[in-house]
Amino acid sequence: MKGAKKYVSMAVCSMQNSLAYRFSYIMNLTSGLITLVSLFYLWKAVFRGRTEMAGFTWQEMQTYLLVTFFLGCLLSWYSEGRISGKILDGSVSLDLLKPLDFQKARFAETVGSLAIEGVVSGIMITGLLGATAGISVPHSPLVWVQFLMSTAASVMVKFGIVYMTGLICFWTTGSFGVVWARIAVTNLLSGALVPLAFLPEWLQKLAEVLPFQAIVHVPASIFLGKYSAPDAAGMIVLQFAWAAVLWMCGKWMWKGAVRQITVHGG
Amino acid sequence: MRVRPIRGLYLYWRFISTQIKAILEYQADFWILVVSAVLTQLMGVVFIAAVFARIPSIDGWGFWEVCFMYAMIYVTEGIGSLFFEGTWRMLRYVNMGELDRFLLRPVSPVLQMLASAVGMNGLGNITLGCALIAVSLRHVRIEWTALTVFWTAVLLLSAVAIRVAINFGSNCSAFWNKSSGNAVPLAVHNVGEFAKFPITVFSHGVQLFVSVAVPFAFVSFYPAAYLFGHEDWTRYAYFGPLAAVYAWAVAYGIYRMGLRRYESTGN
Amino acid sequence: MGTIEVRGLKKVFRQAVKDPGLAGAIKHLFTRKFTEKTAVSGIDLTVEEGEAIAYVGPNGAGKSTTIKMLTGILVPTSGEIRVMGVDPFRDRMRNARQIGAVFGQRTQLWWDIPVRESFALLKDIYEIPEDRFRRNLNTFIELLGMDEFLGLTGRKLSLGQRMRADLAAALLHDPKIVYLDEPTIGLDVAVKENIRGFVRALNRELGTTIMLTTHDLKDIEDICRRLVIIDHGRIIYDGTIEAVKDAFATERTIHFQGTFEESRLRELADRLPAAEVTIHEPGHFSVRFNRFVTGAPEITSQVMGVAEVADFRISEPDIEEVIRKVYEGGIELPRLTGMGA
Repeated sequence: MKGAKKYVSMAVCSMQNSLAYRFSYIMNLTSGLITLVSLFYLWKAVFRGRTEMAGFTWQEMQTYLLVTFFLGCLLSWYSEGRISGKILDGSVSLDLLKPLDFQKARFAETVGSLAIEGVVSGIMITGLLGATAGISVPHSPLVWVQFLMSTAASVMVKFGIVYMTGLICFWTTGSFGVVWARIAVTNLLSGALVPLAFLPEWLQKLAEVLPFQAIVHVPASIFLGKYSAPDAAGMIVLQFAWAAVLWMCGKWMWKGAVRQITVHGG
Repeated sequence: MRVRPIRGLYLYWRFISTQIKAILEYQADFWILVVSAVLTQLMGVVFIAAVFARIPSIDGWGFWEVCFMYAMIYVTEGIGSLFFEGTWRMLRYVNMGELDRFLLRPVSPVLQMLASAVGMNGLGNITLGCALIAVSLRHVRIEWTALTVFWTAVLLLSAVAIRVAINFGSNCSAFWNKSSGNAVPLAVHNVGEFAKFPITVFSHGVQLFVSVAVPFAFVSFYPAAYLFGHEDWTRYAYFGPLAAVYAWAVAYGIYRMGLRRYESTGN
Repeated sequence: MGTIEVRGLKKVFRQAVKDPGLAGAIKHLFTRKFTEKTAVSGIDLTVEEGEAIAYVGPNGAGKSTTIKMLTGILVPTSGEIRVMGVDPFRDRMRNARQIGAVFGQRTQLWWDIPVRESFALLKDIYEIPEDRFRRNLNTFIELLGMDEFLGLTGRKLSLGQRMRADLAAALLHDPKIVYLDEPTIGLDVAVKENIRGFVRALNRELGTTIMLTTHDLKDIEDICRRLVIIDHGRIIYDGTIEAVKDAFATERTIHFQGTFEESRLRELADRLPAAEVTIHEPGHFSVRFNRFVTGAPEITSQVMGVAEVADFRISEPDIEEVIRKVYEGGIELPRLTGMGA
């Protein structure tokens, strides 16, 4: 693909950047780990004396928590902060001077950091796997392939949502509120907070027609073998469809947002 | 130096009202922050509700009791944001050398730092959190005597003091770590996750950690134990004020140590 | 005992060194290596009440570090400071009441509120009595021309406006000592003149002790009588500005007005060693000479022999040139005995 090279080098540059901020990333991982541990104990207490809840065994629940943690490590706060940061500190106007598409450039950076995030969190998960014996890992290679594809799609969907929330900062002076609201909604409707099966029926129905479930619910369910192979394939297609739709929405939103630059004085 | 509480309070008010006036000019931001705080907190409630829809109690703790702990974490966080958001600016003050400004004035730099910012999201946290606390307290029979009222007030105040001290102390890591952003204070802040649930579900190590090292348990769990009459944990609740003094002593110690390392660089 | 007494003042910054890469970062967690950077290495300084001293030196010489220790922002590694009898770091609050400081690179105003309200807040912080506050503020508004921007918020001020407001903010409480770190940096000529005049009046009329660091040597000439030059964390000169000029400006120029014959003037120039004659316009010429070779009286008497002189004046040597030479290491400055040293 012509013109792709510059985005590749942006991704590489972002990868190095992530390495430079590794301490920060590791601390953020620790934060995530604290949440993971607290949830682990809580669910353990909840499952005490029960074999199954909302279709989940304790073993499956542990797996679900780990997969959610892994997906949460990808596309971390750092990538998210970079998009809104550029807008808020006005350096977005410098980006406009470069022969780069803003959306593609941000995606390239995200993918770059992702490589590092993936490796670090992968190592961490492996360590955790050793620590917790009762986790169910899929045996079929097909499930692994589907899970990886689904994870890729998950990242793209998450990027689409993160990118659009970032663009909202053209109309605000701070990013925290926007990001917190985004996290709250995403956590609930993606299944990161609690498996969707635990939610009231109407919320489950709502989650099914929104893109958020593509971020955690779909890949986690595939990993747990909750879908048959053809169903899983269908869900992956749906995920990519959402990614494409969100990409187009982001493109369209950028066109409107970029007009704000003069107002913002950036 | 003489300590003059009235003058301190007056100056605190002068500083913070300046910040409030400034922030109210950005109306859109104000509402986004308030709404986002409410949303975040609601997610927590949805989570608790989802769990308690399937089981009546966790380790002997019921829905409203856990709600109360949850709300305590959010209310104190809200008070920290609304009135003491400055703690979260420490990184910038140290890295950009902005602490100079505070150090040049004949007023406690800690007071100036605490009053240097306002987080309107706190308003959302406080409103929803207080409502939640009020509702959950209606589900328990408490004999309101002068003594219980006194202890409730003391425990709530201690809870706020502990929360702010933890924010302050952990943000002072900025004196040592210049490049890692808010990662350390955020990780410490996240330890509060443990205190959103009855700490009885955790291992002894975790229980000790959130009671002594980072005493978040005194923000939510122990006051809950006291108010809801969980006999076996109530006696520890009385250590709340002590924990508050201890948390502030440690935080202030970290700050003093950090100040000696302050380099005032950056332009 | 001076207003400011500094003995053996030292400041060493420790900087952590990390090996590159992840391995280095992990290693750093256990073993820490540091390099030490000495910013100020043993300074003695005495400033008397009412003095105006210029504290100059090349970038990174330790100027700002010294000022920050004097104001109580930084803790000295070793040595002793007394500012009006107070240790500025230990007794920071007491020190803060008696000093004012302007850091040119950084504002002390509140970003989000109008300048007028920033001043009102400072009134409360320093507990300035109402009448004194009014009087000072009105004086400053007039002298610094602040009327036009009192209603603007800190963030909307131009650099020149901001600097004037900062200056006023630092002086509202009538400090006995004022530290000015690059107070004219980046300003246009008119504002610079305004600020210099203001600071000079502060020193001459109110007797406020001034300590000024600057790269603009015009600031020094306009405001200060005493010059302290610092390089590599050490004081290399401490004395009057006149003394440094006298000692190190080798070239002098005398301007003459009168009638003369050009050819006779040229002859004279050839006769005088290390001197050069320039004819500017009819009736005006100048002689530039090395004053260590020929004295000014000699030059004047020689010139009077060949021309009818109506008037003459000796132009002052350029301090800027002298200091630049010092920075470049072109001149070895012996430690002169100046005021207070």
